[in-house]
Formats: sequence, structure tokens, C-alpha cells
Amino acid sequence: MSKSNLSSKKLDRNRIADVLIIGAGPSGSVAAKHLAEAGIDVVCLEQGHMPDANKYSGRRPEWELVSQKQWHPNPNYRDGERDYPINTKESAVHPLMFSGVGGSATLYAGHWTPFMPSDFRVRTLDGVADDWPISYEELTPFLEEIEREVGVSGLGGNPAYPPKMGYPTPALPIGKVGSKAAECLDAMGWHWWPGTNAIPSLPHNGLNACVRRGTCMSGCPEGAKSTTDITHWPHAIKAGARLITGARVRKITTNDAGLATGAVYVDQSGREREQKASIVIICANGIGTPRLLLLSANSRFPEGLANSSGLVGKRLMMHPFSAVQATFNEDLESWRGPFGQNISSYEFYETDKSRGFVRGAKWGIMPAGGPLGATSFVGSKAFTDPDAKVEDMWGTNFHDMVERRFGRSMVWGIIGEDLPEESNQVLLDPTLTDSDGIPAPKLLYKVSENSERMLRFNEERCVEACLAGGAIETNVFHQMPDTGWHLLGTCMMGNDPKKSVVDQWGATHDVPNLYIFDGSTFPTSAGLNPTATIMTLALRQTRRLIEQRQKQEVA
Amino acid sequence: MMSLIDDTRRTTFLGISDVLIPEFEGMPAASSVEVHGKMLDHILTLRPDLVEDFLRGLDASCGKDPEFAAKELNEGDHLALSAIGLVASAGYYMTPQVRNLIGYPGQESKPDTDPDATPEYVSNGMLQEVIDRGPIFKPTPLKSNI
Repeated sequence: MSKSNLSSKKLDRNRIADVLIIGAGPSGSVAAKHLAEAGIDVVCLEQGHMPDANKYSGRRPEWELVSQKQWHPNPNYRDGERDYPINTKESAVHPLMFSGVGGSATLYAGHWTPFMPSDFRVRTLDGVADDWPISYEELTPFLEEIEREVGVSGLGGNPAYPPKMGYPTPALPIGKVGSKAAECLDAMGWHWWPGTNAIPSLPHNGLNACVRRGTCMSGCPEGAKSTTDITHWPHAIKAGARLITGARVRKITTNDAGLATGAVYVDQSGREREQKASIVIICANGIGTPRLLLLSANSRFPEGLANSSGLVGKRLMMHPFSAVQATFNEDLESWRGPFGQNISSYEFYETDKSRGFVRGAKWGIMPAGGPLGATSFVGSKAFTDPDAKVEDMWGTNFHDMVERRFGRSMVWGIIGEDLPEESNQVLLDPTLTDSDGIPAPKLLYKVSENSERMLRFNEERCVEACLAGGAIETNVFHQMPDTGWHLLGTCMMGNDPKKSVVDQWGATHDVPNLYIFDGSTFPTSAGLNPTATIMTLALRQTRRLIEQRQKQEVA
Repeated sequence: MMSLIDDTRRTTFLGISDVLIPEFEGMPAASSVEVHGKMLDHILTLRPDLVEDFLRGLDASCGKDPEFAAKELNEGDHLALSAIGLVASAGYYMTPQVRNLIGYPGQESKPDTDPDATPEYVSNGMLQEVIDRGPIFKPTPLKSNI
């Protein structure tokens, strides 16, 4: 084995890259930009393509209709050319993701909610799950730097967080929806704060300012929602990184010494190719990453790559999610954007064991969309009763429902912390494959009793607040299946190689030059949207890799 | 797509769409805004995935009383009725006439005129009440148990 001084020389197509990144989503993009700017040769393989903002439907009248199919976040339902299927027959939550440069953030709502101090110490504080090997304080400088790259909008001083640097752009308007939601929480004396969003209110780092079109979750046609195809890849490519799209990675290759040597992938035309590299970083999300490690099993690593702990694929966390739709007897213009979070509440975030569960949940208020939104939620027909009679949902009741709800409703999203359990896991399906014949993942996932109690408690409090604020109708949608936006935990980070897959720097314990920088490394999930912490962690790990480049063991 | 929707199917759709979306308190029936005309073909072009369920429902309903047909589909082929209902309602709310009636301008661009202006929730003291209640996070313990 040798030590390598990672070079800054440019690569030709067949040259061994210094670093191969698999996946051009939030974490892979951060790594690519910063490694390339440090003079390191970077190649990134992305199974999807560079997004074309002109294809986003937000400016067209059919936006709501096509959002329910072509831009649906569930790849099994969307069934796009670059999606891979996922067996979810034994999963209570359906995973949501998008293949493309920018990753699943292409369809996210941009809720920017960094993990809280307590999230890194749940074992110490609550006696459950595991502490992280790093702390909130260690991550904060990297968070503040990432927020500048992302162009976060927000208002400083939120008492739910320790003091930190302000945001690079002012908070977006909370609108009539946010004002009404704040009135509801004020009526109870509960916490709220103007939403922090990865949606800039002013032009920033290649992004345009938000125009409040409200179609964030089907791709922003204004270039005003922060995704890394805009914020990071132009910098990475300018610095010399090479991005190969339409590339489905089949396996990570290793040598006799047990070091990673690159990856085999299937290109857009179906040809199998190999990209060699001195270091490999996987950034393929909490399902794609363990899938790839399991696919890479060989005689030296018969249970899958980096899996001596047996934990690859286990401890899947997806955040069971409930929604509360509240309707008011006044015009809230609730089709108007942004479709991030107008305000959020952390009132019930920290543990209070008298509630019958540990940990807690964040609430975020969102608009309700257009007239079809009166019967659906981000593409899911969640508000439809399968046992309803025709006249319950249609006829004069249809007009009544749209008249009552359209423009006058808002939707609280309740994200509860999902504690890790080894029985919740990602496996390889024995028969299902993607269109290139690569085995697809299969999920085993049940909602825990703790999550069930947590969601019920928060739903009840949320309804109380809505009624206190004057709601004329509330509808609770408990633990909706199509809500697995956050795919976490399947390659756990820790200090003990017997109980974790990677160390705090994302290096796998078993393969010294194989790294994982995505959310699969999270020991716990918090009760928050994870993109802020995923990107922050990726920056910290990338910086460490750059600093340690002289000492890095490579094939 | 045009060849899939012959006059018989179009007439069947017209009947069921008026059951689902009738005239009511100033709102027009689906047929009044021509959801069964060019809009129908347009919707099916936008959502080809709906075609199979949609046509199956229409063919099973051909010649039947529309109200009875809708009830029969709801009980025996819910997916078909859902497809017919989505085609009807999507087309209905895409027509300018209906959008005007419900006060929906579509997902329009309406930028914030002054992002640096002091928000009302600050100037009216609402947010100060939240701040005055103090921090609500639990600080990181000095030592971890790992």
C-alpha cells in the first residue's frame, strides 16, 4: 500500500482520478466543489441528468396535474427513466427521492432546519439510541459556511437554537398563511419562528430571488430554490471537476489489499465502463448507499463492502410524518408561495417523558396549493377516503369542499424523530432490478411505538392550536405513507468499528480509502429536515480529507 | 390520442363529469366549460398514465345512466373513477372561466417588493413575545456517554 499526495493535475477520460464521488446530490456536490477548488482531481458519477429548469411545470396551467405524476417524489410512482424501483411491500413509509444533479433536493421544499444540540446526545440525555461522535458546536462553523453557499433566507435570534451567525438573505414573507399560523400558536403561548428556507429572498450565488410562485416541490422554474446544480456545480466544474451523468454505478471495485480502486458503472447507452480512483466517496442517500455497498460484495467482503459490523443497510430512519390541514373562514391566499415553511414551531421538540415518549417533533406550516390541493397533499391523495360514496367527494360536496378549503387552508407538517432500530433496513431484492438489470433495494420498515405516540400527541396539540386560532375545519392525516423524504442511518457513524460503518470523518472502518458523506451515516435522525446537516457534515468531512491528503492511504 | 376518444366515449365522459362536477351556486357544470372537448385530449396528453384506467371506466359505463355508472365504478373499479374524476377536475380548474370564479390566478410570480423591510410580525411585537419567553433548546451536555 502506498501513501499518495493527491495531485491537482487535470484528468483525461482514462486517467485514475484522485477522488471518485458517486452521487451529485447535496453531499456529493459539496465534496466535489471543495475538493476541486483545493486542486484535487475529481470525477463524479450521477445516475440522473443535469436538470433543465424549462421542464419544470410551475409556470404552466397544468402544474398541479403533472405534479401528481411526472414530478411526484415517489420514484415507484413517478417511474422516470433514471429512477430505480424500490420494493416497499414491507415498508410502512415509502421512500421519496430524485435522480439528477442536485439530487432529491430538486423536489424538496427547502426547509432549512439544522439539527439541534440535543440531537447529538440522545443517549446521554434520554438513554436511547446513540450519541454522535461529534457535537453541535463542532459543526456550527461549517453550518455557517454552508448557509452562505446555499443562500439560506431567515431571521436570526430563534430561541430554539443557540446564538449563531445570521443568514445571508432576509427571511421570506410569512404571508397570510404564516400570520394565521402564528396567531394559532400565540393563542397557546407556544414557540414559533419565521421559516428558514434554502430559498433566497435576494439573488445569491447564482440563485434568483424567490418570486413566491409556490411550486417549489416540483422543481423551481425561477432558479430560486437552492439546489446544487446552481450553487455548487458551476464552481466545481470551473475548478476542474468532471461530472458524468446518466451513469449508474453497479459496484465499487477493490484490490487484493482491500482498498477501493474505483467503480464499475453502466453509461447512458448501456455500456459498462470503469472509473478508477485513488479514493471513493459514496453520496447516494440512505437507500442508494447501502444498496451499492451490498452490491459490491466479493470474496474478500462477502457480506458487502465495509460491512464487518453487519450494520450496512440497518437502522433505516425515514421520519414518520403526519399532516394537519386547517381551514379558516378567511382568505389566506394559500396557493401562494414559497412552498417552503412559512413558520415553524419547536415547542414540542425536546423530550418530556410525561408525554409517554422520548424525543420530539418539529412543525412547519405550508400553503395548501391550488384547487386540486383541496383533495391532495404534494401529489398524494391523502385526503381521499377510500370508503367514501360518490356524493361524499363529488357533486355539490365537491364544490362545497373547494369553496371551503381553497385559498383558506394551510397544512402543518409534523416531523417526529425516528429512533434507529436494526430491524428497519435496506436489503437487496432477490428478483427486482432497475432497467440496467442491477438488483433493486427492498425495505423492511415498521413505525415504532415511540413514533406512533409522538405523532398522536403532536397531532392533538396541533389541532388544539388551530382551533384556538379560529379554524373552522381540521383534518388529521396520521402517518402518511408517501412521506419518506429523509433517508438516514443505514451506514452508521461511530468510533467503534464493531458498532458502526464509518468514523466521524466518513471513512469506512474496513476500507481506508472508501468514504461515505451522505445522510446514511447519521447515528440518529433528529426530528428535522436533514439537508442542512447533511451538507454541513459533508463540508466538515471534505475539509478533513483535504487536510489529511498527504497521509491518505490509497490503492 | 384523438383516436382513443371517439364520440361514444366523449359522451360517456360528459355524462359522468357532470355527475361529479354539477352546476351549483354559480359554479358551472363540467360540461359547460367543455372539459369533454379539446381539454380532455389535452389532459390525457399531459397524463398518459391515466389513459388505461380512464378508458376502462368509460367503456364499462357506456350507455348507462351516468349517476348509476359513477356509483358502480366507485364500488367496483375505484381506480377508474379516480382517473375520470381527476381528468374532469383538472380540466375544470384549468379553464380561465372557473379560475376567475374561484379567484385563482394560477401559480403567479409576485416577488416581495422589499425583502429588507421590517416584517409586520416584528413591528407589531408578535415575535417579541416569543423571544421574551426565552430559549427552549437543551444545551449540549459537556460529556457524551459514548
